[in-house]
Amino acid sequence: MELIKKYGMNFIIYIFLMIILVITIFPILYTFFASFKSNQEILTAGTNIIPKKFTFENYKQAWLLADFKRYTFNSIYMTASIVIGTIITSSMAGYAFSRGEFKGKKIIFAAFTATMFVSLGSITLYPLVEIAKFLHINTNLWGVIIIKVFGLNIMNIYLVRSFLDTVPREIDEAATIDGCNFFRIYYEIILPLIKPIIATIGLITFRDAWNDYLMPLVFTLSNPQQSPLIVGVVSLRSSGAAASSWNLMLAGTMLSIVPMLTIYLSLNRYFVQGLTSGAVKG
Amino acid sequence: MVEIAVKKGNATAKIINEKKLEKSKNKSQHGSVASYFMIMPQFLGFLLFAIYPIIWVIRFAWFEFDGVTAHFNGIDNFIRLFTRDADYWLSLANTFILTFGKLAIELPLALLLAVVLNSKLKGKAFFRTMFYMPNVIGIAIIGLIFYFMFASFDGIVNNILLQFSIIKTPVNWFENKWTALVVIAIASIWQNFGINMLFFLSGLQSISKDLYECAEIDGASKIKQFFHITIPMLAPIMQIVTMLAIIGTIKMTDLVLVLTNGQPAGQSEVVMTYIFKYFFSTGEGTQVPQIGYASSMGLVTAIVVGLMTIAYLKTTKKMSSID
Repeated sequence: MELIKKYGMNFIIYIFLMIILVITIFPILYTFFASFKSNQEILTAGTNIIPKKFTFENYKQAWLLADFKRYTFNSIYMTASIVIGTIITSSMAGYAFSRGEFKGKKIIFAAFTATMFVSLGSITLYPLVEIAKFLHINTNLWGVIIIKVFGLNIMNIYLVRSFLDTVPREIDEAATIDGCNFFRIYYEIILPLIKPIIATIGLITFRDAWNDYLMPLVFTLSNPQQSPLIVGVVSLRSSGAAASSWNLMLAGTMLSIVPMLTIYLSLNRYFVQGLTSGAVKG
Repeated sequence: MVEIAVKKGNATAKIINEKKLEKSKNKSQHGSVASYFMIMPQFLGFLLFAIYPIIWVIRFAWFEFDGVTAHFNGIDNFIRLFTRDADYWLSLANTFILTFGKLAIELPLALLLAVVLNSKLKGKAFFRTMFYMPNVIGIAIIGLIFYFMFASFDGIVNNILLQFSIIKTPVNWFENKWTALVVIAIASIWQNFGINMLFFLSGLQSISKDLYECAEIDGASKIKQFFHITIPMLAPIMQIVTMLAIIGTIKMTDLVLVLTNGQPAGQSEVVMTYIFKYFFSTGEGTQVPQIGYASSMGLVTAIVVGLMTIAYLKTTKKMSSID
């Protein structure tokens, strides 16, 4: 009796989980299969999710005719620059805040933290463009890259700092006695030590940079050739011929989410780590 | 002999200590210069990309500025905002409706899943990975995917609903304000329930198992345990997660821009997209950007959100400490 009761409960739980699972993956699977349908079939498919005839024509067209080759290239160089730059700036700052002793450390850190609470989201986009205009980087992705890399990444600094607080200080004290200076300790000893947290920061930054829409949109409004993938795909939706380019939109959508999903599914441990340690404790 | 040796030893120790002291002094001086250099990139970014834009918005809120010429016009922007711009208040109302409607489903769902996946269940790692998956997809792309699925004529949602005879004719989801808001809410819940589930899970894992064992011995049922142990122990995390979710929803921009773009006729606009369109003149009826006016709307919105955050933290103060 007891067993049946327990078994029954688990059964209900699994059914509930399966329903949520279907809802979770349905939109992705639907898009995936639809991206292999001809435009004709997309518009008349009814409830058929799996295409009658698989065609790669959409991808071919998107890649060659709709400029997705360029968009993909833009996305890759934008994301790679942001990830590398952010890792450098935030690991250096995190290290300095953890190990460095300098005047105003507490005040600067508190000021940095305060920006988390007064962020105005997309309201400050326009002034950012104004600054970029002043620096002559307002019509291409370098504006986005510089703002993202130098713009304050307080969560990353927190992550590095709290990770370093668990690394024994004896290690860098020994190095100091051996004649290493502050920067060399960071470069030769600390960086290799904090690899796990750098992986986390790298992945989260990758996700955010690859997925960003609004800022790259604003910076490439006058220069669509520079658009990253997501901006390029979405721009098809608002163009006049939206209905006739559904197949291209679907192929583009898949192009933009497949790299992300692949990386997530193979490295999801690091994603989860960064989220839970960063957001809840920080 | 021994005495001399000890003295010698002491002397060397003293010398070494002094040397060490000197070194550490050197280090701290050295370290401080290097530290300044190492936080410099972030400090510059802080001034240029965080502080300056805020000051800029506060300043231009008092100007009429179309991107080329600006002139000071005092409180005119604010008078316009408070007396003549019903659309702004509509978008703000939509934002709040969306926030509460969405969170009323999203947070309980996330909590329920977290509790279920915190037990000894086979395959829980798999479910956890899957449920968080939508969160790694770009929000603009999610907007596009849901736009496909809820398309008025041959969208898959309409087709499924027709198949099961739940509806008789295809629903034009984006032609009615409320259905448009429902689609926005669904897309947003789909993206965010996973991350909130993870937050709750990390909270659940920090609850000591002893509490449940004690309750078990006292004969408390699972449901009683949930309401008398789990919920109170999770309160601090719930407070933070709810706050993050509220602020996140208020700041929602990309999803609405891509999914409905304010359809029908600006009825489903949220406050951030409404302001965005005045800044970048992409919406209906705003051919010339009205940056000054957009700044004042931004300022008022920021103040409203700030006051709400303070009020929220005040009213939920009890939650932050576990009694």
